[in-house]
Amino acid sequence: MFVAMKPHATQAEFDAVIDKVRALGLTPHPISGIERRVVAVVGNTGAVDPDDFAMLPGVAEALRVSQPFKLVSREVKEEDTVIDVGGVKVGGRAIVVMAGPCSVESQDQILETARAVKKAGASFLRGGAWKPRTSPYEFQGLREEGLKLLALARQETGLKVITEVMSTDTLPMVAEYADVLQVGARNMQNYSLLERLGAVKKPVMLKRGLSGTIREWLMAAEYIVANGNPHVMLCERGIRTFETATRNTLDINAIPVVKSLSHLPVIVDPSHGIGIRKHVAAIARAGVAAGADGIMVEVHPKPEKALSDGHKSLSIPEFEELMRQVRVIALAIERPVM
Amino acid sequence: MLVVMKPNATEAQVDAVVERIRSLGFFPHAIPGAQRTAIGVTGNKGGLDPALFESLPGVREAIRVSQPFKLVSREVKEEDTVLDVGGVEIGGKRLVVMAGPCSVESKEQVLEAARAVKAAGATMLRGGAYKPRTSPYEFQGMAEDGLKLLALAREETGLKVITEAMDVETLPMVADYADMVQIGARNMQNFSLLKQLGKLAKPILLKRGPSATIREWLMAAEYVVAHGNGRVALCERGIRTFETATRNTLDLNAVPVLKSLTHLPVIVDPSHGIGLRAHVPAMARAAVAAGADGLIIEVHPCPEKALSDGQQSLTPEEFSGLMAQVRVIAGAVGRPV
Repeated sequence: MFVAMKPHATQAEFDAVIDKVRALGLTPHPISGIERRVVAVVGNTGAVDPDDFAMLPGVAEALRVSQPFKLVSREVKEEDTVIDVGGVKVGGRAIVVMAGPCSVESQDQILETARAVKKAGASFLRGGAWKPRTSPYEFQGLREEGLKLLALARQETGLKVITEVMSTDTLPMVAEYADVLQVGARNMQNYSLLERLGAVKKPVMLKRGLSGTIREWLMAAEYIVANGNPHVMLCERGIRTFETATRNTLDINAIPVVKSLSHLPVIVDPSHGIGIRKHVAAIARAGVAAGADGIMVEVHPKPEKALSDGHKSLSIPEFEELMRQVRVIALAIERPVM
Repeated sequence: MLVVMKPNATEAQVDAVVERIRSLGFFPHAIPGAQRTAIGVTGNKGGLDPALFESLPGVREAIRVSQPFKLVSREVKEEDTVLDVGGVEIGGKRLVVMAGPCSVESKEQVLEAARAVKAAGATMLRGGAYKPRTSPYEFQGMAEDGLKLLALAREETGLKVITEAMDVETLPMVADYADMVQIGARNMQNFSLLKQLGKLAKPILLKRGPSATIREWLMAAEYVVAHGNGRVALCERGIRTFETATRNTLDLNAVPVLKSLTHLPVIVDPSHGIGLRAHVPAMARAAVAAGADGLIIEVHPCPEKALSDGQQSLTPEEFSGLMAQVRVIAGAVGRPV
């Protein structure tokens, strides 16, 4: 259920609503929109009559939320959520570009990539220091040394850093270095991790699980928000289907569907979504045309020598060309690229 | 195998190659192209020795085609195939838009839809007269009466007509009325039908089966081409996945993948691909941005009263809004509508 306040409701009226929620043994989540303040009521609201809230002074309306996800739904918050990452706004008018290698491999590699993607127009540097690899025998990442290299690249270029956190025990360390914490597809339903992310003061990018339905994905985002962190963005990165010609099937349908169901920003990852280097640009264009708020692209100075995902990483000239193509589409739909 | 002739090869030298192919018990297929003359060879089991053909005068080289699909592959024909449907080009620089109701329901309905989509910029009218419905109790289409109404709408508006043929039996009649024959997703591997389409003098739009891989789809197109009809376009219309929030999952990955594997035009059907009216324009934009050669879109004068697929059909006003958005994207990728 959510309780929407009238535009001119007083703080005392707002507090009275919060108190009543608590008195019923439920949890209030205040949400401040541009137009109005809302209190989302979480817990077993089955026995609560919305009219008990609707009659309180300063309350415009009290409604049940029809979706199983509440705090992330557009029913509760109509306006788009815009996440400010140290001055870079995700979910606003501008399309954000996150680019960088799959894994951080060395100082030279990360600095060379960071300089190049910055020059081409990216505002975020991506790069994994902890890598969830299918095989335990493959490169698992540089760990803290990798995080330090990302911080160095940030210092030099001013790019914001997005990097993956794989488990609760390394979360505090990753959160110290990262500007945005990425939760990988394989961890979309790692609920222990999601709960802990609710208590972190850093924005989170939640990738869609390989076989996560849109509803399950939004419920996973709900975990983070319900546990206290509203700064969540979603990332569509392709789902598992019967098709084997591509690494995954990028579900572009999910972009308009999620944008209508939720107020959270939606990023699209064409690199994992198709998995074939020469087709990444085409599907990045499609993602932006469908309404994505940003793209995340794998770029490596020497893709053929990459320790992971070289077959889908773009070289620097290929990334520059992708940026040109994405700008043309973004311009056509009147969204600047940031 | 593909036998590529030298640029200055004579007609007699080409005939000699065709003769050699026939004498070996295989089938020759002329591959038209601006850059070169080539002859595709099918019917062989296992690889052929290139020397069989390279020894003939006028032959530049004989190449093994690595893909299981041959005549539809880009290895065999590099240039894009452009279909001419009564003056409407499919697969050229210009983006083609096909629009109209799911089913032909009445004279008023199809004429109203035709006028509206024509005014908004479509060049082809879609509409089913034979309908493959999941339930045998639902509206099955107007059959020949529907085809006559489509012909009437063509006469009045000049739109080219695309309509579905469901079986071998009704194919000749459908082909009589249609400018382009559509093969629905459920018939993608109806091989008896595909073979008959090979003998037809009409272009074909082959929709992807709901659970067909790109390779199976191209093999189905190969059936039509190998049986004699090279005028085939492909239509991505969404695949079956675990996701239930949308009717299907529109596989736009397939667009660039197909465009690199085959020379055939690729059309996208966002109406079936997402199945939600509010989101059809977003997916139409995405398809064009991904490189599709055209769109096929369901439009109904009163979607809420449609006998089929009302929940994914656009009103004429929504369709003209979609066209405005598609024009912007098409312009950005250098393709006029």
